[in-house]
Amino acid sequence: MNNNQMPKMVFFGMLNLNLIIILYISGVIANGLSGYARENTAVSFLQQVHSMPMVPWKIPVMAFLLFGSLVLFLCIETESSFLVYIKSGLEILVSLFLIYILNFSYTGILLLILADIIRRFPKMKWKFTAIGIVCGVYLLTDYNLFSGRWHITSFDTYLLYYRSDVRSIMLALRNIMNSLNMLIFIIYTILLMRDQMSEKERILQLNEQLNRANDELQQANKQMEEYSRESVKNAETRERNRLAREIHDTLGHTLTGIITGLDACVTLLDLAPEAVKEQLTVIADVARNGMTDVRRSVKALRPDALEKMELEKALVQMMEESKRASNIEIDYCCTAPLTHFNKDEEEIIYRIVQESITNAIRHGKADKILIAISMEYNVINIWIKDNGIGCINIEKGFGLHHMEERLGMLHGSLNCFNNNGFVLEASIPIRWGEEMK
Amino acid sequence: MKKRDKSVDKIERRNIWIILLGCVMFLTALCIMWLGSLSFSGKEEVITIGVFSDSYWEVQNGYSYQILEDAIDLFEEENPGVRVEYVSGILKEDYPEWLSEQLILGKAPDLFLLFDENFNDLAEIGALKDLSVFIEKDHGFSAESFYTSALDCGRYEEKQYALPYECAPRLMFVNKTILDTEGVEVPGGDWTWDDFYEICKAVTRDLDGNGTPDQYGTVGYTWKDAFDANGVKLFDEGGRECYLTDEKVTQAILFMEKLEGLSNGYQVTGRDFDLGKVAFQPMLFSEYRAYKSYPLSIKKYSGFDWECLSMPAGESGSSRSQLDTLMLAMNENTSHAQTAWKFMKLLSADERIQSEIFDYSEGVSVIKEVTESDKTLRLLIDNSGENSGFNLDTLSNAVDHAAVVVRFRDYEEAVAEVDKAVRDIMEGSTNISTQQIIWNRKINTFLKNNTGDSKNP
Repeated sequence: MNNNQMPKMVFFGMLNLNLIIILYISGVIANGLSGYARENTAVSFLQQVHSMPMVPWKIPVMAFLLFGSLVLFLCIETESSFLVYIKSGLEILVSLFLIYILNFSYTGILLLILADIIRRFPKMKWKFTAIGIVCGVYLLTDYNLFSGRWHITSFDTYLLYYRSDVRSIMLALRNIMNSLNMLIFIIYTILLMRDQMSEKERILQLNEQLNRANDELQQANKQMEEYSRESVKNAETRERNRLAREIHDTLGHTLTGIITGLDACVTLLDLAPEAVKEQLTVIADVARNGMTDVRRSVKALRPDALEKMELEKALVQMMEESKRASNIEIDYCCTAPLTHFNKDEEEIIYRIVQESITNAIRHGKADKILIAISMEYNVINIWIKDNGIGCINIEKGFGLHHMEERLGMLHGSLNCFNNNGFVLEASIPIRWGEEMK
Repeated sequence: MKKRDKSVDKIERRNIWIILLGCVMFLTALCIMWLGSLSFSGKEEVITIGVFSDSYWEVQNGYSYQILEDAIDLFEEENPGVRVEYVSGILKEDYPEWLSEQLILGKAPDLFLLFDENFNDLAEIGALKDLSVFIEKDHGFSAESFYTSALDCGRYEEKQYALPYECAPRLMFVNKTILDTEGVEVPGGDWTWDDFYEICKAVTRDLDGNGTPDQYGTVGYTWKDAFDANGVKLFDEGGRECYLTDEKVTQAILFMEKLEGLSNGYQVTGRDFDLGKVAFQPMLFSEYRAYKSYPLSIKKYSGFDWECLSMPAGESGSSRSQLDTLMLAMNENTSHAQTAWKFMKLLSADERIQSEIFDYSEGVSVIKEVTESDKTLRLLIDNSGENSGFNLDTLSNAVDHAAVVVRFRDYEEAVAEVDKAVRDIMEGSTNISTQQIIWNRKINTFLKNNTGDSKNP
């Protein structure tokens, strides 16, 4: 921040110095002129010059006004290059006039314009043209170049009015101020260049940092992907192990008991039929217990959604997700109260709807699905229709089979056919109260 | 987005204000520059004229502002609503300085009288208005009515910067008493160098017998007179080249050597002429006017009878001589150019005013008809108090055929260089033409350095 302020301050200093120089020169000229008139040496003065001098009081006043207008033009801040050109043109015009008023004895005013243009340098179009023009004007506005053609009276002629010792001090003062102006201009340029260079360096550094961060991020991303793949695999393995354990613990145990019991029954059948009866009752108990165990295991495998919320909400959520995922339209209509079902019943309803939506999307390429669930006495009817391509010979795949099996376990039925798409009808008898008990 | 637009809008509006304000300041500066030449027409138009209080011809006659006052009365009568003002009391010797000061301070009058020696400088620096435009547009103005030589005095680099106001040709004064005593006939208007030399030779005598002559042929006849009489053109128009090697120059220098040889090394002065010891002295016609008329004639040349003649003609020339002219110029920065031109015309070209020059001044009118009128002749004869047989043609011819003036900056310095050269050549014993070549080169170098492009010290 502080660095940015520096060139501005130097520029401000340069403005002030120029004002002082201009007032000094115009003052010296005006005083010299009126001095010639005061001291009756006007004839000799007019013999020395080659053009009519301006009226003395006008010179400082005009110089001040012109400098004021130049400062105003320098103050214009704009992005439009058209305006920049108007501005630069006006500045050059005013400063040429000013230089003329000062009899070409001071041209450093053009350095101000140059400094201003250099400040805008990075943003300007045709910047080299502008700089070239100002430099050209600066180089060409030399007293000696114009004095012959336009009869300009030199600053020295006006100085001749003064005593020779005063004269040399005055001339030296002007030269010192002129050189000072040049020096300040150089310092200004250096500061500006340093500023722009450090700016560029900063940008370069930031860019490097950004690249490094980007690399790191990509690596992290890769690691993450690997990690997620692994964790999926882990979960699969864990689940398989659990299933294996579950099967081994429940079904294995029960089946072993049943097999052993049945073997005993085979042996006892001839010897003690009564004992067989008893034994079979025990085996049935074992089987029933096994069934309970299996149910418990299956319960552990229930869809996550059903664990967390009620069936109705879970269905709606799942449909919403599908809609979002596959961009299909799902019309859902439910007239049945979907509460107080058993867990397996809830699950199968959920699975049927889920599987049907999946099939409709995957096999039927449908974009519209109608789902209706209704209740008739103790039977819940699910009717699902899509507008997909359907299928000519309905070959029941794993999904449908699985559905049928599940329904079979609950004494339900499944029916599917083509009718402008695929239609699936399922009905499930509800065992009210079994769980309530 | 909208917010940004607004701020951009604000900046644009600010810029427009800055540009407007800057332009206003710039234009104000321009206006100040032209301030002097803007006319603020009030109720009555006032034009100012710069004049000096005593006579240009160094003769105190008490009529210094008479012609001007008459002209102002006439002008104000003919142009109601216009007033002419002048500052009185400025002496002739202070006048050029006063004028220069007023010019520098921007307070110079709209019109001013101008001396021949100041004309070049002021015309060069652009203090004088170019009158060519007025002359072209004004059909009431006739350049032909002026003596061409007088009008040409106001020309600088092909432009008319001033009008002549009055003039006086250089004529030869002759002491008739000496010529009568020596038995020499007073020469006519068409006399030549040979006649001049012969008479000078005849009258140069040692009267008291002390071995040195105490009656002389001529005084004040300079190389300039000889050059003019022999038709020498010394410089080219722009003052870039000197023609010192001309054959006519050689003739003139040889004649001067011959003439100066007569006085045997004695430096004859103007006082010798006043005392009646010299036969010829060139003087301005104004001198004749001043001292021929009654009161002054007693004061100066009372001991002898005298008359004025045209200058003797050179070998390859005629009786050409210098013309001294008082001019009238307009300020370049005047705000009443048109009115000033009218008044200028009245002073310079109107016969009513010009004829007053013969009444109240010692000069000659620059208007041919005025100078050559019977009224003027009568006036001149009346003034001289005797029928001296003064020939008006002598005067008219001298004005009409005056030497052509070459105008350029540093003309005076160049002439001073030539003066040095002529002195050197005449004093030197070596071959004249070699010396001429050497000096010509020197003067050309001087001209190149002074009137070339790098004119500054």
